[in-house]
Amino acid sequence: MQIEYIAYPFLFIAIYFEVFLLLTFLGSHGRTSRARALAKHTPKVAIIVPCWNEETTVAGTVHSLLALDYPTDRLQIILVDDGSTDGTPAAMAQFDTEPRVLVLRKENGGKHTAINAGIELANDADIIGCLDADSFVDKTALREMIAYFDDPKVAAVTPAMSVNNPRTALERMQNAEYIFGIGWRHALALVNGIFVTPGPFSMYRRSVVDELGGFRYAHQAEDMEMALRMQRHGWHIENAPRARVYTKVPRNVFRLIKQRTRWTTGFLRNVLLDYRDLVGNPKHKVLGLMVLPFGFLAVSGGIILFCVAMFMSAKQLVNTIATVSGVPLSYILTPHFSFGWFYVPITFLILLGLVASAISITFMVLGKRISGTPGNLWLDMLAYCLLYGFVAPWWLLRAVMDVAFGTRRSWR
Amino acid sequence: MSLAARNALIALAVTVVVVGTVIYAVNYLDQRRVVELSSIQDQLATDTLSVETQFALLEAAPCEYITESNTLSATLADLGARLVFAEERLGATDPQVLQLKKQYTLLQIRDYLLMKRLARVCEAQSPVALYFYSNVPGDCADCNRASYALSYLHETYPNLRVYSFDYNLDLGALKTLIAVEKIRPDFPAFVVEGKRSYGFSSLDALEKEFPKGALVASTTASTTQKSR
Repeated sequence: MQIEYIAYPFLFIAIYFEVFLLLTFLGSHGRTSRARALAKHTPKVAIIVPCWNEETTVAGTVHSLLALDYPTDRLQIILVDDGSTDGTPAAMAQFDTEPRVLVLRKENGGKHTAINAGIELANDADIIGCLDADSFVDKTALREMIAYFDDPKVAAVTPAMSVNNPRTALERMQNAEYIFGIGWRHALALVNGIFVTPGPFSMYRRSVVDELGGFRYAHQAEDMEMALRMQRHGWHIENAPRARVYTKVPRNVFRLIKQRTRWTTGFLRNVLLDYRDLVGNPKHKVLGLMVLPFGFLAVSGGIILFCVAMFMSAKQLVNTIATVSGVPLSYILTPHFSFGWFYVPITFLILLGLVASAISITFMVLGKRISGTPGNLWLDMLAYCLLYGFVAPWWLLRAVMDVAFGTRRSWR
Repeated sequence: MSLAARNALIALAVTVVVVGTVIYAVNYLDQRRVVELSSIQDQLATDTLSVETQFALLEAAPCEYITESNTLSATLADLGARLVFAEERLGATDPQVLQLKKQYTLLQIRDYLLMKRLARVCEAQSPVALYFYSNVPGDCADCNRASYALSYLHETYPNLRVYSFDYNLDLGALKTLIAVEKIRPDFPAFVVEGKRSYGFSSLDALEKEFPKGALVASTTASTTQKSR
């Protein structure tokens, strides 16, 4: 058996799931959801900004919140300094005179404790929002999201995230991924398949948070755990694709791998250890039967495909070195291409990969279109195509190793 | 039926159709390659016959009248390259590939014999190398190296003619050639200017098999087909 055969089942499932979500996205339910108007009613909202050493970004985050299109008497901003050791307290102090902003300082206890402390202060809020202190919201984002709480079954609403001012190739790669996530998450929401309410500006119905309890440590993935808990109890999680939020992303590959390792181990540990009952459970429909099982397949498939590609490349390299040894370098380095359709290397593996990639690109284009996210998507896609396949397998591999060997890492 | 269940079934059907289309497209392309190979071989057979006929007609005529041999060898080289690609795509045991390979081998042998006659009559001596390889796994560890070295030699010395043969191909003419040249199954095997040698150690060693001055670096002489 050729080693590339291992890739076929993963590619089949990937294409199947992508087609499923694309059909869901394009269906009438999706169109109706996207046509939803801005909220006219204005429940009382408290937005909690947990901070730990965010001196450079927290002010911008708060300014974007203060600029939200929402009645001032219906919006409260709670800044929670989780024992920062840098200039974060000073950066927060500039908002001491702002009546909508409440500042709380506590000893460092982790992000979930900061959010819970903020929730305690937000006594009369109907909706609780969380916003990471390195993210910035669009003016209409809150009204876009509040509209989804009209449905009493909805416990949380997620926004449309993208990268704040992407410049480098690595940032552009991440931006393409985030924009892909906009379309993807929207489609998942249509079948109640969302399993994470991300830190940058997710909104929660206060009564549901009270009913289920506050945020937990949850293997450094408190946002995922809360979403899974809501799903377990039968609540719906929505997505507001026009609620734009811009976030800062790791600027070097090592920080990126560290961040994504945390996210992936969070997924694996939460689902494997604490929410295994959801996996394969028909009661949880698409989430239980497709999203979570396919999530595991995506992790293992990413690693296996990478290993297959590495093995084949290494084998080819060894063969090539052995073959060309002794022949003058000038001949070896001269390209010996054969042109014409006859030599086009179209294989089953390449064509299936192209189909999967084409659907992914479609989701990126759709994500950008429905969210109205600014920027040059084509450059982002180029960076994504060139880099993602080489970077992503490393955090998947590291995460699987961490889970297998019980390794725990620091947040940053 | 719920929306999700309906979409799941439609997605399955679409995916099966997409994968089926991909399988069909890949197979169709492979079949087109085989058809193209076959068409080139037909043309080559005609060209070979034409040269042989010219040769017969002009037995005593000046050699410059025989004009097609250079084109023929170049086409043979192109066919060889395409056959190697098709063999990699479809597999060495594919019946169509095997059939084409047999025809190609026949054409090579005919070209080889024709060149020998031309060389004798026209005194246009070109160095010739016969190269025998094996595709059987484990039979020939150095065949890839030998093929690459021969490609290098052919590109560096355009007057060199290389004819490569799959030793295990079930073809009467090839078996006869093997018997005539007394080649034993020890790979890679070479016949350089009538002298047999076995194994491949280095490019330099292979180069030294050729008579001194036989390989000419810059020439307008004809080319020949690619090695394996």
